[in-house]
Amino acid sequence: MYRYDAVDKLIVEERVDQFRDQTRRFLAGELSEDEFKPLRLQNGLYVQRHAPMLRVAIPYGMLSSDQLRVLARIARDYDRGYGHFTTRQNIQYNWIDLAQAPDILALLATVEMHAIQTSGNCIRNTTTDHLAGVAADERIDPRPYCELMRQWSTFNPEFAYLPRKFKVAFNGAAEDRAATGVHDLAFELRHDAAGEVVMDVSAGGGQGRTPRIGPVIKRDLPWREMLTYTEAVLRAYNRWGRRDNLYKARIKILVEAIGPERFAADVEAEWAHLKGGIAQISEDEFARIAACFAPPAYLPDDEAYADLAALRLAHRRFDAWLRRNVVAHKRPGYAAVTLSLKRTGPAPGDATDAEMDAAADLADRFSLGELRVSHHQNLILSDVARKDLFALWQAAEEAGLAEPNVGLVTDIIACPGGDFCALANARAIPIATAIQERFSPARQEEIGELAIKISGCINSCGHHHVGHIGVLGVDKNGEEWYQILVGGRSDSKVALGTILGRSIKFEDVPGMVERLVGVYLAHRTPGERFIDTAERIGVAPFKAAAYPEKAVAA
Amino acid sequence: MSRLVRLADRRAVVAGDGFTLVRESGAPLPDGDVIIPAADWIARGEALGGRSGRTGVWLGPAEDPAILKDRLAGLALVAVEFPKFTDGRGYSIGALLRRRYGWTGELRAIGEVLRDQLFYLARAGFDAFALAPGRDAEAAARAFEDFSIAYQDASDGRTPALADRAAAAREAKIVRTRKLLARIAAAHPDAAFASSLSAEDMVLTDLIARAGLPIRVFTLDTGRLHAETLGMIGEARARYGIEIEVMRPVAAEVEAHVAAHGAHAFYESLELRKACCFIRKVEPLNRALAGRSAWLTGQRRDQAVTRGALPEEETDTARGMAKFNPLADWSWEDVLAYAARFEVPLNPLHARGYPSIGCEPCTRAIRPGEDPRAGRWWWEQADKKECGLHEQPSAQSLESAA
Repeated sequence: MYRYDAVDKLIVEERVDQFRDQTRRFLAGELSEDEFKPLRLQNGLYVQRHAPMLRVAIPYGMLSSDQLRVLARIARDYDRGYGHFTTRQNIQYNWIDLAQAPDILALLATVEMHAIQTSGNCIRNTTTDHLAGVAADERIDPRPYCELMRQWSTFNPEFAYLPRKFKVAFNGAAEDRAATGVHDLAFELRHDAAGEVVMDVSAGGGQGRTPRIGPVIKRDLPWREMLTYTEAVLRAYNRWGRRDNLYKARIKILVEAIGPERFAADVEAEWAHLKGGIAQISEDEFARIAACFAPPAYLPDDEAYADLAALRLAHRRFDAWLRRNVVAHKRPGYAAVTLSLKRTGPAPGDATDAEMDAAADLADRFSLGELRVSHHQNLILSDVARKDLFALWQAAEEAGLAEPNVGLVTDIIACPGGDFCALANARAIPIATAIQERFSPARQEEIGELAIKISGCINSCGHHHVGHIGVLGVDKNGEEWYQILVGGRSDSKVALGTILGRSIKFEDVPGMVERLVGVYLAHRTPGERFIDTAERIGVAPFKAAAYPEKAVAA
Repeated sequence: MSRLVRLADRRAVVAGDGFTLVRESGAPLPDGDVIIPAADWIARGEALGGRSGRTGVWLGPAEDPAILKDRLAGLALVAVEFPKFTDGRGYSIGALLRRRYGWTGELRAIGEVLRDQLFYLARAGFDAFALAPGRDAEAAARAFEDFSIAYQDASDGRTPALADRAAAAREAKIVRTRKLLARIAAAHPDAAFASSLSAEDMVLTDLIARAGLPIRVFTLDTGRLHAETLGMIGEARARYGIEIEVMRPVAAEVEAHVAAHGAHAFYESLELRKACCFIRKVEPLNRALAGRSAWLTGQRRDQAVTRGALPEEETDTARGMAKFNPLADWSWEDVLAYAARFEVPLNPLHARGYPSIGCEPCTRAIRPGEDPRAGRWWWEQADKKECGLHEQPSAQSLESAA
């Protein structure tokens, strides 16, 4: 993974000093609430329902075991013993004392981490495929490009006060595991006919109140121009994005208002002044960064490999775990393993300090000391030799991190919701728990792949628009109600879900999910997943089953 | 007269300002220097020729700076308005004026201009800042020092790290070392720096002396140093005007060792070489450090295989004190570049093929391509080549130091 040199260290250390002084001035009354707000937001501090929340950046989801141990220590020493991994591959803590925030940031700096630009109207943490560098279907490792974007966007002086937040994602694999279709700016990496890395750029995707899939505005962008082109996009957005209405300030509204073609032409005109300039990426700097992501010293495949057939027969849960939580790796002798943070009970994505320490130990023992955070709110050990899989499974079971449910109905994405977030209309975590309690392991297996995504409000942190089944919390006269969507997906065939009808009460949500699953099971053809069936038969049968009393009346 | 923060050559000064801001388009102009709406300048610039005062223009955040493209000549300044400090459009306007339209004169931020936006404003090309009313301009001017380096290209003329990583890394090392030294001096008022008078240690002396830090500098005169090395004591005193204390071995111990083993015993065995190092270096060092809470060295990681994992900060457990290696991550090139930039006097032996210099009988020049430590105790194994200063001394040696 990327390691800091003196430049990165100094920038992060000076940021801690700067924020320490800003916090001191705020607490001393020298800075007003309004003046301090964007400063704390751009250092990851977001005031929630109960206390300030601190969101720590995990750049493109990459973590070392030492970093994870520090995240555990922060949970233990500065919070209430847990943290919440988010849908943007970050971690957030819910119970932070503002006066201690500079100390936490200083602690993070010692392990080359920060909370820079994790909130606020600026360029946020860059995200990508949690299997970057190891995925069997990868064309190009996106991580060097993500790191270049991280550095270029960090304290970019021109784009620190944008109309709204701005999220950038990269994909370099056949399957899009980074939900790039719903990002403000997304780069699809591939090789051109000459073998050079080029990028297809899309802009104006996003979820929230006006969900949009980002149209492609540029094809075949040479990789060295990635930053000059990004500068052109951001300058257009910074100058022309709406600032009069918070709800219409994302770049997607600008792109839609003037049309993707016109937006692309405006960006192209601006880019004409920038391309080939000083922000063009140099071969040397790319090589320096790419060297950090060179493949580790893998064992020869025949040494790493093991035949697990007998163990699978003997241990049914190991077998389920292999099928659900273990995926193919570039190297045939290796696998990538998901440590599920979706146990029934705790909020999806939550991990206690002990669990984080345990995961760090597992990474040291089985995966070269590195982990990933997925936008599905799970942890991934990316480099496990197949011969170690059984030992890893046993150790993960002991740590409570081996729930064999990746991609299944209980692998729910959910935002913190009304339990924590001041914006939320409704709770999300108890809905997730209620759905999880409804489906037994056997039933989950029978249903197969099904992505349920829950947001407590229209800001869509829980990605409900792109859930196979989406659940959205709404406020009706001060009460919690939920809208249900079907047919969304965040992969390469990204699509937005359709709202089925009127919103329903909290206690009716699990039954609703049950009925929708029933429609799928009744219609599915062999090998068909929920989302395939939903696309084939359309939303009407789901609507009919969703509101049976209505169907009777009709 | 209102007050203005100005930035020239990266130095901030607070100065008065005689310009009158004319907000309304077409309003009658007062006498003296004025800042008028940019559109007015476009519409009737020539008509202003007869006025005695100077003319500047201001742009609102929604205005296109392209209107000034061919109309910048004759302007005293261009101002950009920030109606709210969270309105970031003006940063792009500043960048365009500087880099697209070639404006080199004063670029002034007006409106809700606050201290915590000044650093970004300066990077976006602004060099004058009309702070919002009631703000402490002197305090605000410190904001320009928030960051020493930047990743990305902007409009402030800095070479960004993304364009020249080596230069940025070198600068970052210097700044981090300065900060570390200041931190050490604050936490350990009795800290002492053991200088071998090498290039590294002259650089560290320079950093300490320039910052005026109360870190005591001492050196170990083993009695067998090169004349060139001893000459550096006077060079450093003259250059920096600081005291460099000279620690010497106990004469009786030296005499006893020479009497027992001869004058060149160090070539005979590792044990005898280490015994010599102990008498001439380690014991005087222990004496110099006795009773202190911290010491500093000029060691670097890439000096030797024995120093590959050297931390910037460690605990000298045997001596019961903190130990700092502020140059741990510096390369030899970093050291030479610093010395050249700040005109640090260097031991002339360095230029004659001695990157690492110890006692005269135990040091030779190296040939091109040889390891930098190849000229130290060249008859010994690379993993043994330490004099013992940086090892944990035994209980007995501590007693003898006390």
